[in-house]
Amino acid sequence: MKFARSLNVAAIIGATFSLVAAAHAAPAKEPLVTHEWVQKNLENPKVRVIEVSVDTGVYERGHIPGALNFNWHNDLVDKVNRDIVSKANFEKLIQSAGVDKDTTVVLYGDNNNWFAAWGAWIFHTYGLGDQVRLLDGGRKIWELNKLPVDTKAASVKATEFKLPDGKPNLRARLADVIAAADKKADVQLLDIRSPDEYQGKIFAPEGVKELSVRAGHVPGAINIPWGKNVNQETGAFKSVEELKKLYSDAAIDGKKPVIAYCRIGERSSLSWFVLTQLLGYDAKNYDGSWTEYGNSVGAPIANLAGTVWTGK
Amino acid sequence: MSRSLSVVIAVVVVLSLAFANAALAGSAVENRQLAPSLAHGAIFGVILQRSRFCFLCNLRDYFDNRDPRGLVAILLAIAVGSLGYHVVLSTWLPNPMGGRLAPDAHIGPVGPVLALAGFIFGVGMTISGSCVSGHLYRLGEGSPTAPFALVGTAFGFALGFLTWNPLYVSSISTAPLIWLPAQLGYSRWLALQFLVLAAFAGLIGWYGRLPQAQPLLPTTTPVHHALHKIFIERWPASVGGAAVGVLATVAYFQVKPLGVTAAVGGYARTLLASAGQLPQTLHGLDGFAGCRTSIDTLLTPNAVFVLGLIAASFSSALIAGQFQPALPAPRQIVKGLGGGVLLGWGAMTALGCTVGTLLSGTMAGAASGWVFLFTSATGTLAALAIKRRL
Repeated sequence: MKFARSLNVAAIIGATFSLVAAAHAAPAKEPLVTHEWVQKNLENPKVRVIEVSVDTGVYERGHIPGALNFNWHNDLVDKVNRDIVSKANFEKLIQSAGVDKDTTVVLYGDNNNWFAAWGAWIFHTYGLGDQVRLLDGGRKIWELNKLPVDTKAASVKATEFKLPDGKPNLRARLADVIAAADKKADVQLLDIRSPDEYQGKIFAPEGVKELSVRAGHVPGAINIPWGKNVNQETGAFKSVEELKKLYSDAAIDGKKPVIAYCRIGERSSLSWFVLTQLLGYDAKNYDGSWTEYGNSVGAPIANLAGTVWTGK
Repeated sequence: MSRSLSVVIAVVVVLSLAFANAALAGSAVENRQLAPSLAHGAIFGVILQRSRFCFLCNLRDYFDNRDPRGLVAILLAIAVGSLGYHVVLSTWLPNPMGGRLAPDAHIGPVGPVLALAGFIFGVGMTISGSCVSGHLYRLGEGSPTAPFALVGTAFGFALGFLTWNPLYVSSISTAPLIWLPAQLGYSRWLALQFLVLAAFAGLIGWYGRLPQAQPLLPTTTPVHHALHKIFIERWPASVGGAAVGVLATVAYFQVKPLGVTAAVGGYARTLLASAGQLPQTLHGLDGFAGCRTSIDTLLTPNAVFVLGLIAASFSSALIAGQFQPALPAPRQIVKGLGGGVLLGWGAMTALGCTVGTLLSGTMAGAASGWVFLFTSATGTLAALAIKRRL
């Protein structure tokens, strides 16, 4: 029954977007594409589908036919500096993925597009916001619709594409967050971690190693866990109306710029995507997130639970 | 037990496996590894039971009676598996020299700790009478030693968790992950692999001696003859070896590399954690590919695999008249537990056993697989030599 309902939801979302797909022979300009749209464009040389999943071996054992694989641990980070992938390396990466200035890149992944959204944020940061889309529902919706997968590594012809000017202002830095905490900047802070982390009851979720010596949140931050953005059964984003209500109920209505953060900046990319791409709000992603902020000397925190780090 | 009752029970077990598989096949997207895992486990159980694919028996057959068939079957399994892995790997990762390791393949850190773990595992095989996969399929044959050896293995795993951190910090952390295709490219790796396997097979065959052929049993019809060959007689070792190579490839392609200790190790880890004895951090452990243990869930793909293995081996043994349960003698209990502890410690420390580290490693082109092969064989033979003098 649940399954049937999720299929219905998928079908409705799909139908909405297939109208868009039918209207445009060229790739749609919307931030999201549906699985139907992707299916229709599998052979389109101007569309490049790329998987960005958390779990290893998922892509290899079955991916959307023709899709390439970006490994976020290797491809999308700078392994020496704590940073996102450098501009030079990102340029090489997308050249080898056959991306050109008229290519539409569709990202998708497991865990409700968690890391695919991180990938999308990096594309935006390097100035490719107009070219990148997310497959709404990611792997989950593809599998729920029993669509075929492939195990062959796709081969594409590399390009000489040069990255345009980036948009570094999509990224918040520690100083921006401290300014917001000190109320020196008129910015709303959005903490997308679990309520237990937000309240300071726990230092990090179970089984997670990256942590901070302090628990709690940035003073003034509003807590909306990232999972609330998606329909858990289909992995697809909730409707714009639902999302608008979700955020406006917590006093985020787009009137003030927002800085989203989590623990290491990945999950918050999904909330950043919702705010900027689906709701059209002004928002930045703070990828230093709690592992940087919570550990920073002199940065104030709010800890509702009052837990104290004792080294254990 | 009467023959017809045995067959009825075996058929019921096989049907239950089929139903379980069908039920699992319909499970949620997140659990879709369960159905193929059950099938792989069941097929593995049948192969192991029918062809007596047991590392210790094969080594012992050779050194006691110069019978080379079992050892050659292991080499054949590696050869077939390497070919299969090559097909899969060259599709998934066309260029192995790009700085990335084969996804999920069991490529472990190569260093003195691996060598020691292999050696200890080999000693454990000799004492307990089999390796871990051997004990699992013998559980289905009613072996009186196997249950104790598996309990011992769980204890050994617990010990392994307790000794992991000092070993990791002093040695494993700096031990390299050597993936031969990354050094040589696929073609040269495969050529070298076949050369080494052929050289070993030649050496083993040169010194070996085939036992006298058994007289064929009188059979009535060709169909009866075929059924007898499949269900009653042991399969030729080489058939088992080749089948293991094919299954290893399929398992890697569909779910993950073959391995039998992740579930046992996972339960040991869970028990140790609930007793408050598990080190809070096991440095680097979960970052390695291998027979990974976890305390998350009870019904993991590997647990389903092992259940399938035991159930299929049980029904296969029943039909063949090889299900012979016996009450354990004190000596068997002691040997099972003692040898099992060594097996468990070795498998935990080496990130897998003769299946997960040796077979799945060598097939993928991991140097760690070859190190485990040599050191576990050395440990087995050393213990056999000592045993004979006692």
